[in-house]
Amino acid sequence: MKEIKKTVIEKITTHFKEVTAQQHDGNRVDFFIGKEEIPAILFFLKDEMGYNHLSHIACVDWLEEKEFEIVYIVWSYTDKIKIFVHTRVERENPVMDNVDMIWRQANTYEREMKEMYGIEFTGLEAPEEFLLEDWEGPPPMRRDFDTEAYAREKFWERPGREDARDVRETIIERTGEELPDFAKKYKR
Amino acid sequence: MREKATTLYIGPQHPGITGNMMVRVKVEGDTIVKATTEVGYLHRAFEKLIEQRNWLQSFTLLCRFCVPEPDPVEESYARAVEELEGREVPERAKYIRVMVLELARIASYMLWYGGQAGSLGLYTVGQWSVGDRNYILDLFEELTGGRVYHMYIWPGGVRRDMPEGFEEKVLKTMDYLEKRLDDYDDLMFENSIFKKRTKGIGIIDKAKAIEWGVVGPPLRGCGIKHDVRIDDPYEVYDKLDFVVPTHEGGDIWSRAQVRRQEIRQSIRIVRQVIDKIPGGDFYNKIPNPQKWALPKGDAYARTEAVRGEVGMYVSSDGGTHPRRAHFRGAAYVHAITLLEDLLVGENLADISAIMNSLGTCPPEIER
Repeated sequence: MKEIKKTVIEKITTHFKEVTAQQHDGNRVDFFIGKEEIPAILFFLKDEMGYNHLSHIACVDWLEEKEFEIVYIVWSYTDKIKIFVHTRVERENPVMDNVDMIWRQANTYEREMKEMYGIEFTGLEAPEEFLLEDWEGPPPMRRDFDTEAYAREKFWERPGREDARDVRETIIERTGEELPDFAKKYKR
Repeated sequence: MREKATTLYIGPQHPGITGNMMVRVKVEGDTIVKATTEVGYLHRAFEKLIEQRNWLQSFTLLCRFCVPEPDPVEESYARAVEELEGREVPERAKYIRVMVLELARIASYMLWYGGQAGSLGLYTVGQWSVGDRNYILDLFEELTGGRVYHMYIWPGGVRRDMPEGFEEKVLKTMDYLEKRLDDYDDLMFENSIFKKRTKGIGIIDKAKAIEWGVVGPPLRGCGIKHDVRIDDPYEVYDKLDFVVPTHEGGDIWSRAQVRRQEIRQSIRIVRQVIDKIPGGDFYNKIPNPQKWALPKGDAYARTEAVRGEVGMYVSSDGGTHPRRAHFRGAAYVHAITLLEDLLVGENLADISAIMNSLGTCPPEIER
């Protein structure tokens, strides 16, 4: 296992100059690379090194750092190693290269990321909406999207339910108990 | 004369569709010329809600990612969190987890029996198998308190130990189910309608299967022997003796054959677990979940569910809440890019049989 991980890191670092490698316990290797190099490194991993199973593409919103992190996780059935390829893309007008010519199922992930995070994928063939239909609000999976505030603004209380209230308030009234500290922040 | 193409909408409410999704098909006569999967009918923003909860509170949402088999989702999340924190899991808990996962696999296959046979008009199979599934749900009820949603596997181990005399009950249920499987073989696999409607239908190209992201029984139904339990062993699967069945062909029949044999292997695994399970702790206690902060980093844990590989990516910013928890379901690939491709050229009446054979689970796509 250690030998294979070493070879993988060597191969990638010789082919791609601007890459940082990181070893983990077990069968995991991480690479950090600029977003322009993503299609190239994924092509290389798949065609030259046999990492032909795209296991996952995840997107993380690092709001404070004004960046999105996109993680491609690929698996080799022969090496039995999972490789994480991390990249960062700016949060303002994010644009990425699409990779659905390498794995066509990447198309689904990219369609979802486009809707949920507002990341544009150049050349992505996704004419239709994926999960959100007639959505006009901001991309909802971004950290600065407040689900509750959006719902309060967009929808209204059903007539006749004006006196509806939090069940915890009723419990407090009936039993005289204090609301625990951790529950207070959820109080309306 | 060329027939005029018509567009039909199968779903989102349709007895042949496995949940709330739609397949929009363009047909010429009875033959499908184009299929498009339409989802978005049950998006519940679980992943958004998880970000607003602490690491432990997400379990009430996790089990709802896939209704027929919730345990692999819980297990993959728990294992990803443990990997992130470096938390040890007691050996006994690992064995119990494997038992729960395998029981869930059998229960889910029992439901699949009903769905697959029902999609071809053989309704008796479903009535039998859903009845037999209840015996496993009884076991779950005794072990976890819930029949369908368990919230039993959690970071650090499992929620409670096995009750007294539980092992005997499990073994008794396994003996009963093993005998029952012969009845299913006679009723379903010997049935000429089943053979005719499944052989040569919905064929997955073996050469392209891995590249297309096919996993689980559909992949093994192409004759390719890959299973996360063997390739990337988790919990105690490397200490157990079982076979990963494969079948050549890539059609619905092959996938059904793989599942048929896998139930027997699962029964074998459960028996070994009961035989080998050590004593000791079942839970490595976590700190107060309200103050439980995980170190910065990310982790990805994969589990073999009945539908294939499922995985959970979690990312932590060092706080008490997940930065991101992103679930990868097998249906995310199977029911969209693969299904759209498989349906082309097939008969309109085979849509639900093909969908069932891929183990499509829409809640897993939308989360």
